[in-house]
Amino acid sequence: MKSKKALLFNTLLVFAVVFAFTLPAQAGGKAYKMGLSLAITGPTSDAGNPYAKGAEDWFKYVNDTKMLGEDTIDCTIKDDQYENDTTKRFFEQFVDDGIVLFLSYATGANLALKRDFEEIQIPVVPASYHEGLIVDAKYTFMPVATYSENIVGLAEYVVENHKDGGVPKVAFFIHPSAFGRGPLEDTQKAVAAGLKMEIVEVVEHGKDLDNSAMLQRLISKGVQYVLCHSVQSPVATMLTDAQRLGLAAKTFGEKGKLTFLGAHYTGGNDLIALAGAATEGFFWACSYNLTSENNEGAKKQLDLAKKYGRDDKAANSHNYGAGILAAQIATEAVKMAKAAKLEVNRENLYKMLNDMKFDSFVAAGPVTLSKTERIGVDVLNIYVAEGGKFKKIKSVESEFIKKVRAGR
Amino acid sequence: MSVNTWLATGNFNTTYRQEQKTFVTSLDRSIFTLFLLTLFAWPVFFPISQKYMLVVDNILVAIVAVMGLNLLLGFAGLISIGHAAFIGIGAYTVASFSRTLGDSHVIVTHFWPVLILLAGFMGALFGAIVGLPALRLKHLYLAIATLSFQMIFQWVINFMSFFNQGQTIYVGRVFWFTGEIGRNQHYMFWYYIILTLVVLMGFGVRNLLKTRYGRSLVAVRDNDRAADAMGMNPGLTKVYAFALAGFFAGVAGALHAYLYRGIGFESFTLHQSVGYLAMAIVGGLGTLNGSFWGPVAIKYLDIQMEHLAEFAGHYMVQASNLSTALKPLSFGLVIVLFLMFEPRGIANWWRIAKSYTKLWPFRY
Repeated sequence: MKSKKALLFNTLLVFAVVFAFTLPAQAGGKAYKMGLSLAITGPTSDAGNPYAKGAEDWFKYVNDTKMLGEDTIDCTIKDDQYENDTTKRFFEQFVDDGIVLFLSYATGANLALKRDFEEIQIPVVPASYHEGLIVDAKYTFMPVATYSENIVGLAEYVVENHKDGGVPKVAFFIHPSAFGRGPLEDTQKAVAAGLKMEIVEVVEHGKDLDNSAMLQRLISKGVQYVLCHSVQSPVATMLTDAQRLGLAAKTFGEKGKLTFLGAHYTGGNDLIALAGAATEGFFWACSYNLTSENNEGAKKQLDLAKKYGRDDKAANSHNYGAGILAAQIATEAVKMAKAAKLEVNRENLYKMLNDMKFDSFVAAGPVTLSKTERIGVDVLNIYVAEGGKFKKIKSVESEFIKKVRAGR
Repeated sequence: MSVNTWLATGNFNTTYRQEQKTFVTSLDRSIFTLFLLTLFAWPVFFPISQKYMLVVDNILVAIVAVMGLNLLLGFAGLISIGHAAFIGIGAYTVASFSRTLGDSHVIVTHFWPVLILLAGFMGALFGAIVGLPALRLKHLYLAIATLSFQMIFQWVINFMSFFNQGQTIYVGRVFWFTGEIGRNQHYMFWYYIILTLVVLMGFGVRNLLKTRYGRSLVAVRDNDRAADAMGMNPGLTKVYAFALAGFFAGVAGALHAYLYRGIGFESFTLHQSVGYLAMAIVGGLGTLNGSFWGPVAIKYLDIQMEHLAEFAGHYMVQASNLSTALKPLSFGLVIVLFLMFEPRGIANWWRIAKSYTKLWPFRY
């Protein structure tokens, strides 16, 4: 009899313990599901990997610090290895799971899924800043200035600071894809709209390990500036060749030499790691605050990376910052919906994203989104590589891109 | 032929007509009919998520493509490493209409069966053209010729503005008798369409192999000089094998375009061509059912490896790259292991299983 009582007591005790541990979790707040599909490995993973870490860490931080009270954000991160068909599959899975917001990555995948976003009416924050993603698209919200804005902004910088008189002669060095070609087309439109520069040659790079002939040809055509829109490795190869041939300008616009300038994915610490001293004098446009600036924002980024055990490489990457910003925009939308006492769903997050303004420690300027403004951070920081670091020269906003957009 | 049509115990035929029967016994026919009914009925009774429906549809598209590749590689013995480009030809046939007329034009959205067929014929036309070198080339040299076609295809799509330089070309939602096929019915609708095509094309291949056109493929594969001596035209047979493979690939490409509602060149690269080759090898070259097993096995392996990589990634956070490398590693390993230990592919396991059950409880 005694043993039966003891058995009953023990059983009840076990149930009590189980309830004690499980009940708070069930009784806690809601979990808002989101999905992020990107290239953690495979092509472009040098950008995708730190991006994923940035987004993951920010969501962890939001949940750990109870930024949303008892509610949490449950963001599933999946590695699509830069394959569009896989991204589509993941997207369908996320939609099945009931996500309220999608964090996307590659230009190609975003273009392929653009129609789905509009049909499902799901807000999307992409990691690709391709201008075409916000053309005829209601639900895509670009976190920062587009690639076109980067390149047109740099072109304006060239025109403003060109000292030798006459029209600056520029060559384009671009990735052989939609990602590379989009900004070129917009710069050509800016030139047609009155930007005083001459595009002498467009080079769509392959996987060349030597650019000597190309660089000599550009010099022989009188090119002084090379605007790059690609990823870091081909740019690094070109910079190394230019240094070896003595063709890299030591100061901006040095006559008879080439001054290299590039947009978002061309620069950063990875470029310095790849090209070393050849990076010196490379001008880079980016809408993110860099940790090398050593300001308040940089400290916060480094603290977050440290809190979640990230290595220095990830912590100092602007792509880590990019991941944080995308996650911050998503979080801000949830916060706003909660503050307005609205249900956190796709429809309401879309409404919140149509009227959003906040400051982010990783961005070069405030994030402002509205019904007519689909780009969060319009400010571009122009950095130059000096002493193994990128240093900020100035912040700009492209004027000609507005004319290009108005002409669409 | 046995008197009892339900339980024949051996291959005992008295006429060629009997020998050519698709189903040896009535039991075989009944089992196959039941299997087909199950394939058509299960999504109604056991609906699955959109994600998995997309996976199933994807497998069926791959089956159509691999049936063509198997005719070329398995039955005719002609190697092609540009199969994804042939699939791309079919997809870009649909894309061309979409780009020229508009993605919601009635021809794209209502006359899609015609476009799918047209895509097949375009694939066949390009197949025949690419097959011309087969008149003079064999083995590795022929492989390089098909590789060149793959490269030319990629280059043309990536640079021609008509093809949007490889960027996505959208394809509108199709219409059926019930109206527009919306998002919720999309994958289910295409499941039935592709499954119907798989069944029809499967029977087509099965019947083709019983005709002199089918037997000539095998004869040319085994010994083209002997085939020539027997009155066949090896050159024409090779070109026709390429055209046939191109037709299947073209249809698969059009189905891919409609399934994904858009075409981007990333889906038709050399990497994909190698994938289709792997499916044909793993499934079993020179067998019809191998064309079904291969895509199922490779796509299933892909997804399981993805799950395993994710699971491993949780426990090896610092080595997430390593865990994701499991996918390409397993893909390569499976091909090597099959080539080494089971070159006849999964189709051989199926054959063994069938003979075992046929003679059960006796040992095979």
